[in-house]
Amino acid sequence: MTAPITADPESVPAAARPGVRELHDQLERVWNDGPGLRGWLMSTDHKSLGKRYVITAFVFFLLGGVEAAMIRAQLARPENGLIGPDLYNQLFTMHGTTMMFLFAVPVMTAMSLYLVPLMIGSRDLAFPRLNAYGYYVYLLGGLFLYTSFFLNVGPDAGWFAYTPLSGPAYGVGKRVDVWAQTITFTEIAGIIAAIELIATIFKQRAPGMSLNRMPLFVWSALVMAFMILFAMPWVAVDSQFLAMDRLIGTHFFNQAEGGDALLWQHLFWFFGHPEVYIIFIPALGFVSTIIATFTRREIFGYPAMVLSLVATGFLGFGLWVHHMFATNIPQMGESFFTAASAMIAIPTGVQFFCWIATIWGGRPRFATPFLFILGFFAVFIIGGLSGVMIASVPFDLQVHDTFFIVAHLHYVLLGGGVFPLFAAFYYWFPKVTGRMLSERLGKWNFALFFIGVNVAFFPMHLLGLHGMPRRVYTYLAGTGWGDLNLVATIGAVTIFVSVVIFLVNVARSLANGELAGADPWGSSSTLEWATSSPPPSYNFAHLPVVEGRYPLWSRPIEPPVVTGLRTDERELLITTLLDARPDHRHRTPDPTIWPLLAALATGVTFIALIFTPWAAVVGGVLVIGPLVAWGWSKPKPGDPVIPEGVT
Amino acid sequence: MSARESVRVAGEAGSIDVSALPSTTFGHRALTWWGTVGFMAAEGTTLIVCAVAYLYVQRNFQVWPPRETPLPSLTAATVQILLMAASVPVMVWTSRAARRFDLAGVRRGMVLSTVFALAFCVLRWFELHALNTRWDSNAYGSTAWAIVFAHATLLIAQFFESGAMAALLFLGPVEPKHFADVDDSCLYWYFMTGAWLVLYLLVFISPRL
Repeated sequence: MTAPITADPESVPAAARPGVRELHDQLERVWNDGPGLRGWLMSTDHKSLGKRYVITAFVFFLLGGVEAAMIRAQLARPENGLIGPDLYNQLFTMHGTTMMFLFAVPVMTAMSLYLVPLMIGSRDLAFPRLNAYGYYVYLLGGLFLYTSFFLNVGPDAGWFAYTPLSGPAYGVGKRVDVWAQTITFTEIAGIIAAIELIATIFKQRAPGMSLNRMPLFVWSALVMAFMILFAMPWVAVDSQFLAMDRLIGTHFFNQAEGGDALLWQHLFWFFGHPEVYIIFIPALGFVSTIIATFTRREIFGYPAMVLSLVATGFLGFGLWVHHMFATNIPQMGESFFTAASAMIAIPTGVQFFCWIATIWGGRPRFATPFLFILGFFAVFIIGGLSGVMIASVPFDLQVHDTFFIVAHLHYVLLGGGVFPLFAAFYYWFPKVTGRMLSERLGKWNFALFFIGVNVAFFPMHLLGLHGMPRRVYTYLAGTGWGDLNLVATIGAVTIFVSVVIFLVNVARSLANGELAGADPWGSSSTLEWATSSPPPSYNFAHLPVVEGRYPLWSRPIEPPVVTGLRTDERELLITTLLDARPDHRHRTPDPTIWPLLAALATGVTFIALIFTPWAAVVGGVLVIGPLVAWGWSKPKPGDPVIPEGVT
Repeated sequence: MSARESVRVAGEAGSIDVSALPSTTFGHRALTWWGTVGFMAAEGTTLIVCAVAYLYVQRNFQVWPPRETPLPSLTAATVQILLMAASVPVMVWTSRAARRFDLAGVRRGMVLSTVFALAFCVLRWFELHALNTRWDSNAYGSTAWAIVFAHATLLIAQFFESGAMAALLFLGPVEPKHFADVDDSCLYWYFMTGAWLVLYLLVFISPRL
């Protein structure tokens, strides 16, 4: 049934189709980044940068995990002297900051940046140089945070850095400044990724892929991108206000001069709550894609699924105050946000029932990606239910700032983010690398991760109900919290072992894993499986023409394709927004070093801004040169040029 | 003559030949237009956050502006608003020139926009002083400065963009896509000036009401 839209060059006998080999060679010459380190640094290929983005984010996941392990080691028994309070403060701040700002959001945007052009049948992202710039800014932000941490200037005011603790009166030294500037780095990278994704999804879909035929993962990436666009500027400005309070004596959060500590919380959570959905919504896209493949069924209720994603995107902006129930919010406001918080369970519930209906009528194949999806169901539902509990003000006031909240947020983020992410890793790893991961190790990975998460975090509900506050570096033996804390630490060790197994699995696969072929699952429905594994630099020799919602399931043996794009230049096909009708051809720029240099200039500026406001002036000048060079294109032979004197 | 895909790997019926499609379009058809709109959305949101902070801290003051803080002076800000209003028809004209690939027209338009943007930046300096408060005086000063300064970053960026595009149009080589870039720059200009009208009313006029 499945015929290759765009054949792997190796699979098409050159003699049988004279010219095919030449076409692939020509496209490879044009779209390849070039050899060596120079080519690597200049790369603008969404796949090359996407891989770096995912690997970088995963390294930060590992670092955040090591911090979590140290926290759990310290809390394993009462009155433990392993880690002192100062380092402990830095550890939980670094753990939260790393996981939220350097891992969870970036890994979801990174997966989207890699997958979306392939899934919609395009050759690259809309603004490839901007993509490179965004990645390097993100990387520099992460390096800056960890360099500071190792220099004992790690942030220590918590991942949401509440004022006045983080303000100039209490947050002495440069630790909070490092946090504030790290946020700026990551938010710029996130906003850039969002703009790229929106433009790419709206304008570069293969002919025939109208909005109502778009894969559900692409819908989820689109909703995520819009949420990033309107959420991240809030925390970017908020963190700059904090930096200015600390550096140049402004009073945004200084109550004595008319500022307001609650302003910090409002601006932070207006970003911070949507951030949860920025992580969760692309994960929903993973779930829908993987369920369709492993049940070999169309997802039940596609329109309901899309509307639920969009509804979640909107509702996600109306919940932020439930993080602030312990402040002096008017009761009417509390009631509104309680109702809104409970309401968001509706679109999520709709999606769960659609998935269940899909699985119910199918014959699921319990491969590792599908197991992680089942893990997602179990763990996320527990997190969602405790979320409905703490949406209630009286209950929330009882458990506010206790380990119950820590349990809830980990169930939601691990269940709603990391389980689907591991499923996605197992599912798309063959596409990215051309090799399969071991199913046996994958099942061990899943089993230990599932057990570890529940053993680590379920006891925290009970600890919270018993009154154990979060962010304490130790506790007295008489509290009776020791046993449950030890259990939680055993769970953390189990998670650690599980992640080590994953790393071993990846290393073994890269060394001598089974070759994957174009579509190793045999039942995939989306376009990325129509090209070779790993995909060539140009993604598709001919762009596909889409004739259904599940293009690989409904293709004829000789599928229609697009012809006529230039082969001596990087050219994209731009289609119309709603119906994806071919509209025009767009020349996309070649690789260049300027985005990297612009990112370095940006990084130097941001870091210097911690010490002097004049860095904005000097840094601004530094950044302009690379930006102008970046945009100053040179036409190539064959490009239309306006001759002098034409008016 | 440029090289094009002529070899088919697979498929016949329903295939689409796109070689005759244009390579330059304007407005929402173009990819760069969506990029411009995306940045407008993000930057517009940052301005909204600054405005929210300005309105939020008002509840902490019995009078607004705070006692012993004079109202912001209107001269520089009003000249700025009038100059911005005058610039908009020039940019409309430039946009039209871009859409008919009128090289001399867009050159003139981008030189004028560079001059306008420079004048906006100079006037902005006076506007900051016209606030009659300092960023470190109190939360009123901090939030008012934040709004005016945040918008100033747009003006500075636009000055450099207009200047670079004018240089490109004179030094070339000029490609058709550069006309679409000029058109997008005009769109950004409407956003930049329109946003300032709202912020001007908020910072310079609303304290008088």
